[in-house]
Parts: sequence; structure tokens; C-alpha cells
Amino acid sequence: MLWVDKYRPKTLDNITAHQHIAQNLKKLVTEQDCPHLLFYGPPGSGKKTLIMALLRQMFGPTAEKVKVENKTWKVDAGSRTLDIELTTLSSTNHVELNPSDAGFQDRYIVQEIIKEMAKNRPIDTKGKKGFKVLVLNEVDKLSREAQHSLRRTMEKYSAYCRLILCCNSSSKVTEAIRSRCLNVRINAPTEEEIVKVLELIGKKEGLQLPSGFAALIAEKSNRSLRRAILSFETCRVQQYPFTSKQVISSMDWEEYVAEIASDIMKEQSPKRLFQVRGKLYELLVNCIPPEIILKRLLYELLKKLDAELKHEVCHWAAYYEHRMRLGQKAIFHIEAFVAKFMSIYKSFLIATFG
Amino acid sequence: MAENKQADIRKWFMKSHDKGNAKESKPAIPAPTNKSQPEKPAHASPESSGRRKTSKYFATDKQKPKDEKETEELPTKRKAQRHNDESVKPPPAKKVHIVDDNDDDDDDDDFVFSSSRKKLNDVTPSKKLKSGSGRGIAQKPVDIEEGDEDDDKDFETPLKSGGKGRGGRGSSAAPAGGRGRGGAQKPVDIEEGDEDDDKDIETPLKSGGRGRGGRGSSAAPAGGRGRGGGRGGFMSFGERKDPPHKGEKEVPEGAPDCLAGSTFVISGTLDSLEREEAEDLIKRHGGRVTGSISKKTNYLLCDEDIGGRKSSKAKELGTAFLTEDGLFDMIRASKPAKAPVQEESKRPVDKVAPLPKKSPQKIETKKDSIGNSLATNVSGKGLTSGVSPAKHKTKTVAKSDLTWTEKYKPKVPNDIIGNQSLVKQLHDWLRSWNEQFLDTGNKKKGKKQNDSGAKKAVLLSGTPGIGKTTSAKLVSQMLGFQAIEVNASDSRGKADAKIEKGIGGSNANSIKELVSNEALSVNMDRSKHPKTVLIMDEVDGMSAGDRGGIADLIASIKISKIPIICICNDRYSQKLKSLVNYCLLLSFRKPTKQQMAKRLMQVATAEGLQVNQIALEELAERVNGDMRMAINQLQYMSLSMSVIQYDDIRQRLLSSAKDEDISPFTAVDKLFGFNAGKLRMDERIDLSMSDPDLVPLLIQENYINYRPSSAGKDDNGIKRMNLIARAAESIGDGDIFNVQIRRYRQWQLSQSSSLASSIIPAALLRGQREILQQGERNFNRFGGWLGKNSTRGKNLRLLEDLHVHLLASRESSSGRETVRVEYLTLVLKRLTGPLRELPKDEAVQKVVEFMNIYSISQEDFDTIVELSKFQGHPNPLDGIQPAVKAALTKAYKEGSKTRMVRAADLVTLPGVKKAPKKRIAAILEPSDDGLVDGGSTLAEGEEENSSDSDELEGSANGEKLQMELQSLNSKGMQVELDLKGTGNSSAKKTPAGRGKGGSGSSEKKGARGSGAGAKRKR
Repeated sequence: MLWVDKYRPKTLDNITAHQHIAQNLKKLVTEQDCPHLLFYGPPGSGKKTLIMALLRQMFGPTAEKVKVENKTWKVDAGSRTLDIELTTLSSTNHVELNPSDAGFQDRYIVQEIIKEMAKNRPIDTKGKKGFKVLVLNEVDKLSREAQHSLRRTMEKYSAYCRLILCCNSSSKVTEAIRSRCLNVRINAPTEEEIVKVLELIGKKEGLQLPSGFAALIAEKSNRSLRRAILSFETCRVQQYPFTSKQVISSMDWEEYVAEIASDIMKEQSPKRLFQVRGKLYELLVNCIPPEIILKRLLYELLKKLDAELKHEVCHWAAYYEHRMRLGQKAIFHIEAFVAKFMSIYKSFLIATFG
Repeated sequence: MAENKQADIRKWFMKSHDKGNAKESKPAIPAPTNKSQPEKPAHASPESSGRRKTSKYFATDKQKPKDEKETEELPTKRKAQRHNDESVKPPPAKKVHIVDDNDDDDDDDDFVFSSSRKKLNDVTPSKKLKSGSGRGIAQKPVDIEEGDEDDDKDFETPLKSGGKGRGGRGSSAAPAGGRGRGGAQKPVDIEEGDEDDDKDIETPLKSGGRGRGGRGSSAAPAGGRGRGGGRGGFMSFGERKDPPHKGEKEVPEGAPDCLAGSTFVISGTLDSLEREEAEDLIKRHGGRVTGSISKKTNYLLCDEDIGGRKSSKAKELGTAFLTEDGLFDMIRASKPAKAPVQEESKRPVDKVAPLPKKSPQKIETKKDSIGNSLATNVSGKGLTSGVSPAKHKTKTVAKSDLTWTEKYKPKVPNDIIGNQSLVKQLHDWLRSWNEQFLDTGNKKKGKKQNDSGAKKAVLLSGTPGIGKTTSAKLVSQMLGFQAIEVNASDSRGKADAKIEKGIGGSNANSIKELVSNEALSVNMDRSKHPKTVLIMDEVDGMSAGDRGGIADLIASIKISKIPIICICNDRYSQKLKSLVNYCLLLSFRKPTKQQMAKRLMQVATAEGLQVNQIALEELAERVNGDMRMAINQLQYMSLSMSVIQYDDIRQRLLSSAKDEDISPFTAVDKLFGFNAGKLRMDERIDLSMSDPDLVPLLIQENYINYRPSSAGKDDNGIKRMNLIARAAESIGDGDIFNVQIRRYRQWQLSQSSSLASSIIPAALLRGQREILQQGERNFNRFGGWLGKNSTRGKNLRLLEDLHVHLLASRESSSGRETVRVEYLTLVLKRLTGPLRELPKDEAVQKVVEFMNIYSISQEDFDTIVELSKFQGHPNPLDGIQPAVKAALTKAYKEGSKTRMVRAADLVTLPGVKKAPKKRIAAILEPSDDGLVDGGSTLAEGEEENSSDSDELEGSANGEKLQMELQSLNSKGMQVELDLKGTGNSSAKKTPAGRGKGGSGSSEKKGARGSGAGAKRKR
């Protein structure tokens, strides 16, 4: 089993990184009825872990007995019927789903499916909890319409259904929804916390950690605990007795993005743009989310860029990311960003070096 | 030879800088041509004038006689080959003319010669014989330069050979080339006839000292040809280069008719004009542009000789070569000095007159002949044909209010433009119909014919407006049939009336009645009753309202006692598939533009409209063969003007051009094309709307490839880069618009969308296309997005499956993206690392263990590998021994017996009517039947029971499939136990042949199928 999963804390008590929040949550569910919750924070900070632990706290070990279902829902959308495929993860008391998987049809999921689920009152209410929980992932990816439909559902069926929403950025969740939830911000763990976790894992696995190695991984992980543990294990797989100079390899796709970035820096020409397009397609085809590509690309570009251009380039990256969200064909916008960058950088080079 | 070559090369290379010089020097050329043009037409036919010019061209144009010579000679060989053919049927005009050529070196006595030629033409039927010799000489003009002697020689020979061996002479041309190269002239000559011998011997003697005498030059073609061929290959079709000086010259304006009567052929790349522009220019000035060289061609317009077929043929026919500058000068000459030039230009106009005049006569004779043939066929046909002209006349005279289409409808079959043979066929069919199918009396004959494939109905097909209905009506009228027409305006459905009434609705019933009643009438008093024919028009239009129409029609045809003519536009329409079998198929073709123009001319003259032939041809071309539309257009234009020019027609039809299907590629070409800048906004919108989905994709795919002409001089490409950035942003805008349109149905944005996604990028970057990738063809690529997007969709699905399995393992609860972005690298390492490093057994065990923990199936394994592949990076599976891989597969299979199945999609059962409300993550202990052990490639324990076992992946060969089938059967049985005999169906559904879908599809289907199953259960 991967260490990430192996050493994932299962109960609120065991949580190491966000003990404070965990304790508060525990109080919340034990003492009183639980409100709707909105967890938000950067990836790898422990939202999911907290949620799972919370559910366990609410419903006991049954919450872990989940089953996966993949079904097609027939949704009546005005003139036609849509088939929407959705994977759900459910136990007796909770259902977890990822409505944004349905792309732009997500509002039907919210309008029909979630409503349907929320409506059904659990039959067996002799347990202490008279409600069930819907866990919605990636709420920030929901379209505006879907979010609007969601808020009514949240109020109407609140008697026997709680929503736990989970997302990376609360800014992409509408005000209306945020105000209906108890917002829980999960910070990215600090590097010290990460180091602590890594050392703990190292100890449990019986590994010799050279001094500073954990810190090195923590630093590379960009404060994502998951990332840190994963790359820790990667290092373990690659080379065991660790050395403090060991190269901490990045993800395959990150290397590829870095390649693209250096391609762009080397030459700014239509021909190169064409090649870059091919590589971007490659990334997209391999299911790397376009936002992540763009972000990473910017990151790689910034590393190599002159300070005076950084601001402008960031501006355009944000601009094109926004447009990417508005649009549908991500490649167009990433390509537009690359073209823009090339044009800026080229004129910069000409201005500087003639 | 060397000199020739050099000159030739120089020509190619110097071309561009010669430009300036050329302009100065060129005027020399046109002057003579112009002069000669007006003179000749009066006496000689265009061919001779063209021919004439050739010689003149060489005589006067000192600038590049050498190249010309070389090119001129190209045809020698071909000519020689052709000779034989032509010996049978000599084109009359040419031969004679050659004689002229030879005689007048002073090149001013055209008149004399043409007249003399005429005489010859009239007198000598033995011209054939001469043709050969004439041929040979035709090449000779090249030698003119060299001096009279040579020419004299040449003349002499033909004169000698005059009466006799044209064959000998002709063939001599061929060897000449070879010989010239080989250097051994004599031997070959000896083989030839005597005359040749004489001549050849003489020539060498005389030309002896000259480096390139007649012979020497005749050798050139071989070399020239070779090179030309290579070049032709290089700039193969579609890759015609852009004009080197595109748009740099001012296109002259001339008198509208200054080129009238001249026929041009354009070849190769011109200096500054695109093909289309040149064509347009010529047409505007009354000239005619044809696709290939013929005797009628006056000029071959080309700036460089690529040695293609056109130029060689032109040389063979002696067509004058004209450069673009020459053309400009011709046009220009007509304008400024109006007084003098007008006269000149008028002449040609006069000259045109005989042409059309002549042709109608021909047609008439042709018609007559057809008419005659028909007449012989048809009893009482003479009557109709006799009458029709009269009718025709009266009709035209009487100025009625009829539309012209009605008014000038063909009145006899012979009036129909084009498709005469089809009309005749129809005629024959109809004529013999009665004998074939109705002669109950002569049973022996009738029966037989019936069987032998004769069809009782006929199906006319063709595009609208080419006279299908008209011919059907005319033919039946001519044969004395009474035509009953049923078309789309009548209901033809089957369901109109009660079903017990049997076939057909009210109208169909009337047809039925007609069809069957006729039998009575035919039998009883056939002589009295007029014969009837049923014309079913627009049968492919039988649709919604006419349900069962076709079937009914077929039934009618089967029992019909009268002939049925069906008419449709699209013979290949799905609806007509069944009908086609019962009909004699006649496909009408579009008439040629000349045919149409002829007819239009008749109409125009009858209406007192003054139109020139070229304009009408243009009209005919524009309407795409639709005669009706052409006449309508003509009538419309007649309302406002009495003289119609080429430009008028062009103008008019630009706006009301017949809607043609324009492919997205053409649209994109046009948007990026050389004159895209001149397109009006609505035209651009039309282009981009021709396929609002595909055009933007094509634009997006290709915009990088264009070198924008607006960037002008662009040293470091910065301008282009800026334009590309702007275009890319605009394309992004287009995408955003598109989302608004599709998702929120804001269709009013569609114009903005096409503006942003197609028009703006195209406008920014239009220019010349270049290739960015080695070996790419310089055509617009198909939009890559569609393919990539679908691959991405597929991969997402695969990833989702993997994700589901991971979730089902209850070990991980990460999202799909997290799985891809963060887990995958490590998982891949865990999966492949051991295989690479550890000893086989240990590695396999370790990996299988890991897979089991996370419920990773073999497909998932493939998915992980697939998603981690990056172009230019090593394959993640590199370095793993195939044996290890096989061992892994085997080990995994082995393990399937004891594996816990958790993932829901892996245990779906199709055909389950009463399944639990929700598919539970059933935990099935797979049975331990021995069949699986045999190493059959059953995917895995979980998958075995899946609904889509028929798509099970991985087994390529039959035996394995067989095994799979068996094992599945057993699985099915096993499942049966659990789920009350429903699993059987799943096993049965496993056809051996279909076993190996792509892993992608099988996975996908699996997921979907299971979803469906769940649905059903609800």
C-alpha cells in the first residue's frame, strides 16, 4: 500500500497536521447538530482526510464501508433526456460524489440527482443521527448555474441532509453557498509539520533518514503533505539508503511542462509554437487538467524569466486562465498564452539585445 | 546545346531582376502581335493567326529567342508520335498554314498566304499527305534566325515530299531528336524515305558549321523535356507557386472588347497574377479562357515554361506564347490611344461573329441528323419535327407574358440541351413499351421480353434545371402519349385512405385506378383511347406525408399497364434504394457551358438582348448547369439593360450565385487566400458559416502556418508573432462565444462567434502558407482538436475506471485529478520498477500484490502506462523483459481465483430484470474452474462476470477466444446460481469473433453498460 494511504489518519483524534481544527470538528458533531460544511484549502492539505475522519466520527466505522457505484442517470432536460454518468461512493449514511465530472451538464446533476438524494430521508432513524450526509467534491468547478441550483437544495432539505462541500478555492464558490455553510479553511501544512510527518513515517517504516532529507522533500513538496509523502516514497523506491544529496524527482508531467517552458524560452517562432501545441496536446491527452498545465507552465517560465517581465507575464497567465474557464477548448487558451508570451518575450529580447 | 541550356537557366534565374528590363523590352513583342492580330482575322481563321504569331514571335523577339526555341522544340517527339494518328484525320487548317509559313519568311504577306491556303484548303483533298511534311516544318521556324538557307531547305523538302510520303517525313521528325543527340544522322536517315534523306543530307551540309543547326536544335527537346518533367514533378499539382511578384504590377484597364475573339490558355505560374485573376482579367476584356490547348487557342499565357503538356501542345499547334506583360500591354494598348486601337480591337469583334455563326450551323446540322435518326425510329415523327420549328417561331414572335423559362422551353426533344442520347433512350423505351409489356396478343414475344430485364418504369435523375421533366414530357408528347404528372404537390402517401382500400391513398388510388383501368382500355379500344404515361415527378421528395409512397409506387409499377416515368434529383438517395431496382436508370448530366451558352444566345437574340458569348458562358458556368436558373437570370437582367457585359453577369451572380456546397477547406483557403482582403464582410461571414463548427477548428489548426502579408517586411518575425498572439486571443474569444451559444443558447452571438473565431484570425494572418514541419504537405491540416479531444475523452474514461477501482479498494479516497497528477508517477514506479530490477518471480509477486491492494486490473495497468507516455520520452515499459510481462499476466490470472471483487462495475450482469435496487459491490468468490488455468487471456476474475464480457479484451487468436468463451460460459453458469438464471444470457452473448475490442472501448462500455444495468433496475 502506498504510504499516503497507509499512514492516513482515520480518526479525528489521530490527525496530526490540523489538530486544532480536528478538535473543533469533533466538538461540533458530538455536541450538536452539524451544519453544512465547506472545506477549502490547497491540495494536499488534508481536507479529504478530515472529512473522512469526520464521517467516521459521526457514523462510526460504518462510514468506512463504502461501495462504489457508477450509474447513468436519465435526466429530463426540457425537450430531451440526458444520460449522465456519475460515480458515487456511498455508505449507509453518506454519499460522496463529484458533480463537476459531468462537465457543463453539472447543473442537471445538482437539480435532479442531488435533489433526489437529498430528498430521501434515511429509513432507519433509530440511530442518533437523523440525517445523512452528501459529500460534494470539487465544488469550485461547478458551473454557476449548478451552484445556484444547489443553494435551494441546501435549505429545503436541510432537515435530514447535510452537505459537506470540498474545494480548493472558496473564491470560486458563490457567496450564497458560502454563507449557508460553516466554512472551514484548511491551511497547507507548514514545512515543519511535513517534516514531522515524514520523520514519523520514516520511523515506522524503519528507514534511516539523513539529516535534512525530510526538510528537502518538504521544501520540494510545495507544502503539500500528500505530495511530500508520495515523493518520499518515490525516493525510497528509487534509491534506498538515502543520501542527503539525492535528487528528488518531480512528476513525469512536470518534467514535460518544464521541457515545454525551455522550448519556449529558446525560440519564439511560429514553428516553435506549432511544436509546443503538439506537446500541450500530449499533456491534455494524458489527462493533465489544463489549469494545472497553465499554472505549472507559468511557474517554469517565471523561473527563467527576467524580473521586469514577470509581472506582465503573470497578468497574462491569469487573463488566459480566466478565459479558459469561460471557454471550453482549453488548448486554444493555453496556446494563446504561449503565443502572447512569445510575442512579449521576443520583443523584449529585441529591445534588450537588438 | 550548352548554350541553349544556359540561356534557359538564365531565364529561370534572371526572371525576377529582368522584370524591369522586360518591361522595357516587352513592348516590342506585343506591337507586332497586335498588328498581326487585326490583319489576319479578316482572312485567316484564328489558328492561322496564332500560328503566324509563333513565327513572328521568334523573328521579332530577340530577347529570348533561345529559350523559346528550346521550348518550342519540346513537342517534336510527341509530334512524331502523333503523326500517325493524324495521318488518318488531318486537321485541315494547319497543314495549309504551314505552307504559308514556309513561303513567307518576310512575314508580312499573310494575306497572300492565307488566301492561298484557302485555295489549297478547298482544292486539295490530299492535304493529308502534306500534313506530315508541314508538321516537320512547323518546328523549323526555330531556324529562321539562322538564315534563309535553312528555311529554304526546309521548304524545298516539303515541296518535294508534297505528293507523297508524309509518313516518311513525319517519322523523320522523331528520329531527328534522337539522332541529334546521338550525332549519327545519316544512318537513320537512310532508313527513312528518299525525300527525307535528301533533305537531311542537305541540311547538315548547309548548317554544318553552325553549332546548332536544325538538327542540333532538334536534339534539344530531349534535354529540355527531361528537365521540364522534373520540374513539373517538383511543383506538382496544387503546389503551384505563388506568383513571384504578386500584386506588384498594376493591372491595366482596357477597352472591354479588346481581347474579344481570342482564346487563351494559362499555364504555369504567372509573374504577378494569380490564375484566377488572370482568368478574370481576360474574360473581362472579352477573351475566352479554356483549360487545354486546342486549335482554336490563340495564346498560351505563361511566364515561365515548365515544359508541361500545355506548352508542348501549344508548340505543336504553333500557338503563340504570351507573357503576362504582353497581355497587359495588349490590354493597355486598347485603352489610352483610343482612336487607333479601337479600330484594331473592333476587328476582332467582327471576327468573332463568324465563329458563333458557324457553330450554330453545325449544331443545326447535328440536330438535323439526330432528328433524322429519330424520325427514322419513330413513326409519325416527321410530322412533329416538321411542325415544331414553326411552332417555335410563332411562340417567340408572340411576345407573351410568360416567363422566359416557359417561353423558351424546348418544344421538341431536339431542343433539349445536352443529354441527347438519354433522351433518345427514353424515347426508345417509351416507344417500345407497349409492345414489350402490353402485347397480350403476341404472347411469345412479350413474355420473353418481360423476363429479360426490361424495366417497366424509368427513373430519370440529375440536378435541378437540366431538363428532366421537360424531356419526359416532350418525349411522351411526341409519341402521342397523354402525360399525367404527379409531383410533390400531390399527396402520394399510402396511408391517406383506409387500409382496406388497399394500395395507396386517395391520390395514389387514383393512380392505381389509372394504372389498372388503363389495362381495360388498352384491351378494349386501344385505338380510340389516348395512350397515357404517368410521370412521377420528384420521387425523392416523397417524405413524411407520403408514407409508403415508394413501396406503393413499386407495387404500381409491377401491375402497371401504362409506362411510368419517375424523376428524381438524387438517384443515390436512401429512399429510392428499393425503387432503383425496378427502373431503367437514366442519369442526366449537366450540359456543357458552350451548349448552354448557345441556347442562351438564341434566347437573347430572340428577345433582342445584346450579349456576348463569353458573358453567356460565364453565366452558364456560374449557374452550375442549371438552364432554368440561367434563363431566369438572363430575364432578370434584361429588365434593366439591353446590353449585357461580362462584368454585369459577374456582378449579378456574385450576389445571387447558386448556393453551392463549399467545403470547410475551401472556405478556409479562401479566408486565408490571396484575395481574402478583397472579400466583403458578408462574404467572409458566409464562408465561415459554411460550417460554423469546422471552419474555426481548421482556422485554429492552421493559422500559425500563414505568413501574414500584412506584416510586410519582418526581419525577426516579431510582427508575425504579434499577429499570431492577437489571432490566438481572438480564437479564444471565439471559443468563449461558442460556449455562450451552445450552453446558454445565445444564438444571436453566432455572427460574433464566427467573426472572432474565423474572420479576425484569418484577416490578421492571411498570406502565404508555409510548412512548419518537415515533410508536411502544404495544405491546410484537418483540425487536430477533434481527434485529440476524443482521445482525451477516452483516456479520461480509462482514468475514471482506474479511479473507481482505487476508490473501491477502500484504500484511497482521492479525486480523479489527484490520482492522475500526483499518484500516477509513484504508482507507475511501483508497478514497473520491480519488474525491471528484481528477479522475475519476486518482482511479479510484488507487483501483483500491489495491484491487488489497490484493485488495479490489467486494463488499469495499461491505462497507467498509456497515460504516462510522453512523446519524446522513453516508454515506461522500456527495459522490461517480455517474459516478465507474460509472467505478470499469468500470475495475475492465477490470483484472480482468490481475489476479492469490490469494484461495482466489475460485477454487472446484463439482462437482469430483477436485480437488487442498487448494484451492490457484490463479493463473489470466483469459481475455480480449470479452464482459466490454461493461460487463457481472460482479463481477470472481476471482469469475467462483467456485463460486457463480449468485449473482453486481450485475446487475439481464435483458440483463446474459444477458451474464453468456454470459461465465460462456466462463469455464466456460476453467476446463474447466484442470480437466478440470468447470467446465461451474458455468456451467450459472447461471440467468439468480437472478443477483442480495444481495451479502451471495452472499459468504457463496461462502465456504461453497468450504468445502464443499474438504471434498469431502478
